[in-house]
Amino acid sequence: MNIIHLTDDELDRALVGESLATRAEEHLGACVACRRRRDGFVAAVEAVRGDDPDEAVRARVRERALAAAALPASRHWVRWGLAAAAVIVLGLLPLLRAHLMSSPQLNADRVLVEVNTILDRDPLDDVASPDVVEAVVPVAHSGEGGSTS
Amino acid sequence: MASLARWERALEPEDERGLIESAREGDSGAAETLLRSYEMLLFRTCRHLLPAGEDVEAAVQETMLRALRHLDHFSGQGSFGGWLAAIAVNYCRDRLRRRRLVPFVSLEVNDESESSPLAVVPSGEPSPERVAMAREAVRRLRREVAVLPRRQREVFALRFFAGLDLGGIAEALSVDVGTVKTHLHRAVQRVRSVVEEARP
Repeated sequence: MNIIHLTDDELDRALVGESLATRAEEHLGACVACRRRRDGFVAAVEAVRGDDPDEAVRARVRERALAAAALPASRHWVRWGLAAAAVIVLGLLPLLRAHLMSSPQLNADRVLVEVNTILDRDPLDDVASPDVVEAVVPVAHSGEGGSTS
Repeated sequence: MASLARWERALEPEDERGLIESAREGDSGAAETLLRSYEMLLFRTCRHLLPAGEDVEAAVQETMLRALRHLDHFSGQGSFGGWLAAIAVNYCRDRLRRRRLVPFVSLEVNDESESSPLAVVPSGEPSPERVAMAREAVRRLRREVAVLPRRQREVFALRFFAGLDLGGIAEALSVDVGTVKTHLHRAVQRVRSVVEEARP
């Protein structure tokens, strides 16, 4: 009697977690050789996966996250505000320097106009690339079960 | 059968929903229970999506923090584990992008070190030849996973290291299950073939 072992594709389906045809399922349950192929792969994966952190490490990480989450939300925006202010000041320095170098007398009105123009802009335009915003404030895509990207 | 990696999740769906609601309202005990239930998933995900030398604890802590701060974004339609894994994946991608890093498993493995995964291959008094083959299989698996294309690495790690099911992986990566299967099949085919080449 010929024994029909699992094909590579059927074995991969079993490893991936997909259901197998009844014949393949029954064969896998009965065939030591096919089970060894499957279990050998899984064992190698487990060896690479390595040990999990112990409870002390997990507790430390968990407690730090909980403590950080308990901080007032305003702290978060204070940091953004300070970053925005720093960018505005840095952006103004070359402007002020150029103005002072080119003109013997400071035209205060013109500088104030420049300052007001900059202040009227959204500070996030200057401090946050789309990548940074996405990383700091992940948003859920509609229709994808609230997954955050 | 050797079992696939699973994280220790003990929450029933109804309990989990209640805990999420309580955590949203500021119940730190509920938040802690949620984190405890999924922390292993996060450690395993970050550990295998970040390159060797990256601070896994910091990655898990930041993932937890983002999750707690954005609990309102979880709609409840998908799995909470998948949602958490999505945050972890995005954090790890961002770390790689900022550091211009591609591989998430170090290729520089000292096979003889005590921390080497090769040291945990089951023995049971095997012959030196079998030990060598097992070590070679594990070494090849590690190397092959390290050079998989990014999306294949992600689905492989989430499936085999973090223990997510196909639906959870789809949610974590914001793709459909069919896409997950496609990438996972390609990854498994590559990795399995090199592992089997190392064995008789």
